[in-house]
Amino acid sequence: MRLLLAEDDKDLVATLKKDLQSAGYAVDVAYDGIDAQYMGNEMIYDVAVLDLGLPRRNGIDVLKNWRATGNHLPVVVLTARNAWHERVDGFKAGADDYLGKPFHVEELLARITALLHRSSKQPGGQLHAVGLILDEEQQTVTTEDGQAHKLTGIEFRLLRYFLLHPGSVLSKSRLTEHIYDFDSDKDSNVIEVYVRRLRQLLGNDRIETRRGQGYVLTDNNS
Amino acid sequence: MKSIQAKLGTGLLLSLIIAFSALWLLLSINLKFLAEEYIASRLKHDAETLLSSINFDDKDSLIIDVTRIDAIYQQPFSGHYYAISTDTGSISSRSLWDKKLNQVRVNTGQQSTTLQDGPEQQSLLLISIGYKKHGHQLTLTVAEDLNPISENIEQFQYWFAAIAFGMLLILVVLQILILRSSLTPLIRIRDELKSLQQGQLNKLSTDPPDELRPLINEVNHLLTIMEQRLRRSRDALSDLAHAIKKPLTVVRQIIDKSDIIEPDKTTLMKQTDDIYQLTDRILKRARLAGHGHSGALFSFADDLPSLIKTLEMMYPSKTLQLTTHIPNSINCPIDREDMLELLGNLLDNAYKWAAQKITLRVDINSVLRLCIEDDGPGADPGKVNELSGRGVRLDEKIQGHGFGLAIAADIVTDYNGSIHFEQSTDLGGFKVEIALPLQQR
Repeated sequence: MRLLLAEDDKDLVATLKKDLQSAGYAVDVAYDGIDAQYMGNEMIYDVAVLDLGLPRRNGIDVLKNWRATGNHLPVVVLTARNAWHERVDGFKAGADDYLGKPFHVEELLARITALLHRSSKQPGGQLHAVGLILDEEQQTVTTEDGQAHKLTGIEFRLLRYFLLHPGSVLSKSRLTEHIYDFDSDKDSNVIEVYVRRLRQLLGNDRIETRRGQGYVLTDNNS
Repeated sequence: MKSIQAKLGTGLLLSLIIAFSALWLLLSINLKFLAEEYIASRLKHDAETLLSSINFDDKDSLIIDVTRIDAIYQQPFSGHYYAISTDTGSISSRSLWDKKLNQVRVNTGQQSTTLQDGPEQQSLLLISIGYKKHGHQLTLTVAEDLNPISENIEQFQYWFAAIAFGMLLILVVLQILILRSSLTPLIRIRDELKSLQQGQLNKLSTDPPDELRPLINEVNHLLTIMEQRLRRSRDALSDLAHAIKKPLTVVRQIIDKSDIIEPDKTTLMKQTDDIYQLTDRILKRARLAGHGHSGALFSFADDLPSLIKTLEMMYPSKTLQLTTHIPNSINCPIDREDMLELLGNLLDNAYKWAAQKITLRVDINSVLRLCIEDDGPGADPGKVNELSGRGVRLDEKIQGHGFGLAIAADIVTDYNGSIHFEQSTDLGGFKVEIALPLQQR
């Protein structure tokens, strides 16, 4: 999952980025409102964490502009301005969730996860699809035989993306976009390596290859 | 007398009555005087004609050549009479019939005018003039009935009074109309002040008559200043909150990741939590607009649904049934931000604890009453009532109900209202009742 973090406080970004990355997100940071708006419109993000007190363009305007141009990027608003009228105005502008500062990182992570599940029409709780259960805190997957497998960072990111889009054909470039941030080396061949690793864990027929199109996560029983 | 209109109306009525009465009196007296003068001068002419038509015979007896005298003196009780008296005798006009004029003797060259009653209830004006003709001393009295001319005068007076009264009415009505039209701006301003106070307006209309312009401009100026001050102080507080919370967030993250050993770590976390919460509460209290402010007002029709939607998005995992009882077309003269903060904190508490149901009741007359109930676990009534009983100390927390209720209590206190917590009898959970007196001036 690729996450846009729009926050101007460099100290906060430093700790937050680490936390988000270790929770399996590819994180890009926008330090001001204009960058944030531009990056959010790139359509490569799965979720945005938006601070309302951004320099150059405030977060509410960024959010309004996204929504006005039909950008439905799920947004968690993160702000120190957490009076109720500000929350109401934030939701009116199109926020999907709201978290007041200071916050517990666990709460932010829980809200992002819940929002991602909601926006891909998944029921609450653990990510549950095609007979697989993904524990997003422990970063483990439980297969149908009840066995839990520990996943590495990239495996986790990849599987989560598959599980949030079951049945969809996902191209290599799309997978790359949503798994790596700007700063990573992007080599789409690496995706093949990780898909192979996932097949070893889940079984070969779990992830089908559609020649020239990409990969599809399928149900074992279908 | 407080109404300008009544004052001006009464003043005009009184002065008009005095003016018309004086005019009426003056005209009446003058007319009567003129009429009598006119009659008197005619009578003098008649007297001279009479004088030329009398003669004395050899025996010094008085002879009148009746043919030279106006025929009116021959008709009985015609209202025109004469009487001539000399040393030797007297003659009266035929019109007097058997009556006599009360004649006074006047010396030659002199004249007297008197009024007396005549026959048939006539009022006579008598002029007696003394003459000397052919060596005879004689007094000639001519009289005319004043009744016909008096009747004319009375009729004139009557008509004058009637017309004057009519004009009085027309003038008063006209004055009321003029006053009303010139007082319209004042009445409009009075109405606008009322809506201003109720918060339906945030400025007085900018098109007053010249006399009122300075007043309106001043009021508008003050309103703008008030609004700017509130906005500025709110913005400043918001910035301050922001400025404090950002570093606090970083501090927390760092403490969380640091190698500080327990229980120091927990203590540090708690301390930063406390700083944050106390700051938050004080800042929220300071931002309250309170009564008598003319900014945006809370609307149950627009703002409540947004608030509920916000809460639903904040608690996406809960499927709660919120029942609202709100009177139609409710007009809530309370600042939007204050009311959102109050309802937000109370409903947030309810959403946090409710299992399935929440009820919100609103009632408004001279007091705005809010009642929020949920079917959650509720709170210890003894502890909870301490909060509403004696006001809340800053560091007090109701077990499990956080700072939200304390902030709500702050808002209620700021509005001179009352807040009461108890166990809900209907739903079994927590119940908050709030009464906010609405501004009555």
